[in-house]
Amino acid sequence: MIQIQDLSFTYKNGESPALQEISLTVPDGGFLGIIGPAGAGKTTLARAAAGIIPHHYPGDFYGSVTVNGLDTVDSSIIDLSRLVGMVFQDVDSQIISPLVEDEMLYGLENFGVSREEIPQRMEEALEKVGIADLRDRSIASLSGGQRQKVAIASIIALKPRILVLDEPTGELDPRSSRQIFSLLKELNEEQGITIILIEQKIMLLCEFARQLAVLSKGRIVRQGDTREVLSHAEELQALGVNCPRVTTLSRVLSEKTGAEQPVCINLDEAENMVRRLIP
Amino acid sequence: MNNLFQYVPGHSLIHRLNPVTKIFLTIVICIAAFLTDRLLFLAGLLAVDLLIGIVAGVANRTWNIFRGLLKIAAFLFLLQALLTRKGTPVFWIITDQGLLTAGKVVLRLVVVCMPLALVLAVTRITDLTNAMVQVMHVPYPYAFTLSTAIRFIPQFLEEMAGIMEAQTARGVAFDKARGLKKFSMILPLCAPLLISSVRRTDQTAVAAEARGFHLRTRTSGYKQYPFTGIDLGAAAFCLLLLTGAMLL
Repeated sequence: MIQIQDLSFTYKNGESPALQEISLTVPDGGFLGIIGPAGAGKTTLARAAAGIIPHHYPGDFYGSVTVNGLDTVDSSIIDLSRLVGMVFQDVDSQIISPLVEDEMLYGLENFGVSREEIPQRMEEALEKVGIADLRDRSIASLSGGQRQKVAIASIIALKPRILVLDEPTGELDPRSSRQIFSLLKELNEEQGITIILIEQKIMLLCEFARQLAVLSKGRIVRQGDTREVLSHAEELQALGVNCPRVTTLSRVLSEKTGAEQPVCINLDEAENMVRRLIP
Repeated sequence: MNNLFQYVPGHSLIHRLNPVTKIFLTIVICIAAFLTDRLLFLAGLLAVDLLIGIVAGVANRTWNIFRGLLKIAAFLFLLQALLTRKGTPVFWIITDQGLLTAGKVVLRLVVVCMPLALVLAVTRITDLTNAMVQVMHVPYPYAFTLSTAIRFIPQFLEEMAGIMEAQTARGVAFDKARGLKKFSMILPLCAPLLISSVRRTDQTAVAAEARGFHLRTRTSGYKQYPFTGIDLGAAAFCLLLLTGAMLL
């Protein structure tokens, strides 16, 4: 469980606070999506949730962040790294080794996973992300999307209890993006892994995340169940956050028909709604 | 240049050597090159370098490294030949002694540099650093620094190409300039490259920390690096080289 209370953070040499009075709770096994326009503080929030702020990025830190009962300010980054796996936004800089296999091994070796267990964990993670064939390739020979998958696989292999992902599908094509989202859903539902996901692909996010938090100018302007947040579509539009087209459809149909339609968050729901409305 | 330091996969005898043995062999060749004072022996060492490259199945790479070194070598040879003032003149101010010394200096340079570059061609950098940590007890942060530096080379080249492309798109004619002119055009690009490298390195440090950098111990490596028969053979060969260098 991640509990954030009244968190405000200003980077050292930063002019204005990157985060202001953030309060947020992600329960065990939760799946929280974070959206917001560029510069809203999404990445800063992810760093704070993983404990990288304040450990690596100095600045003024107010409030508290607790991860499974550990206060991130008091705990070492070593203890936190055992709990939280983070996939960073910048694909290239988070890859440490020159070869895919070594990259996969890096975390497993460090966290002391036994020799017998390592091959199986590595294969499983590569398989899940769909890059088993890349195992012997050098990182330099991979495309941006493939590198991104390697980065994700290397974190998944560590089996952290909490996953924080900062735009993990930024370089991926629509099909691969959906594959990664499905994988996250599977990890979330079958293994109870808590997921915090920052994503610009609103359609996918709304389909998979159970909770949404909308960030703007360092503050949370909306949070709650995905459907509930999406029912404030106009407010989101004004902030520069696009809603999924199916949500827009249900909103427009509500206006046109004069009858309140339920907020749709995926294609099936939209189809049902349209079928119901067309006699 | 792009892949001069990159690993060439293979299963040759040289590839299968223990990384530590490869480092040892490299050092022995260097020592031998400085111990001997005979031109012929140095030429022999050069042949050993080339032979190692061929046995390892990286003849192309060996040739590229050799050709790259030749340019520097030619310059050094000229300089040394002009500066040595002993011996009898053979041509203008160049003496026989000068030619001999220049030849030795240049051969030594090539003989010493080649195996250093070849080690990287036939050893995965992670194997190299892991073996250094496990077998030679090198502290892990040092090994990590080395492997990260080498890992970043293609990255920086990629980035440099990106910056140059961006400049070209804005009308900078890199392709038309040559020599010093081109150099002076590239020089200002170092600032953005440096800034992005520092930022990138910092992020890599965070990523490494988040994946247990501080938890790593000497025995953390998954792969192990036992010495085998071929390592024994290589050691014997090293002994032979050293004795030869001292006696000849």
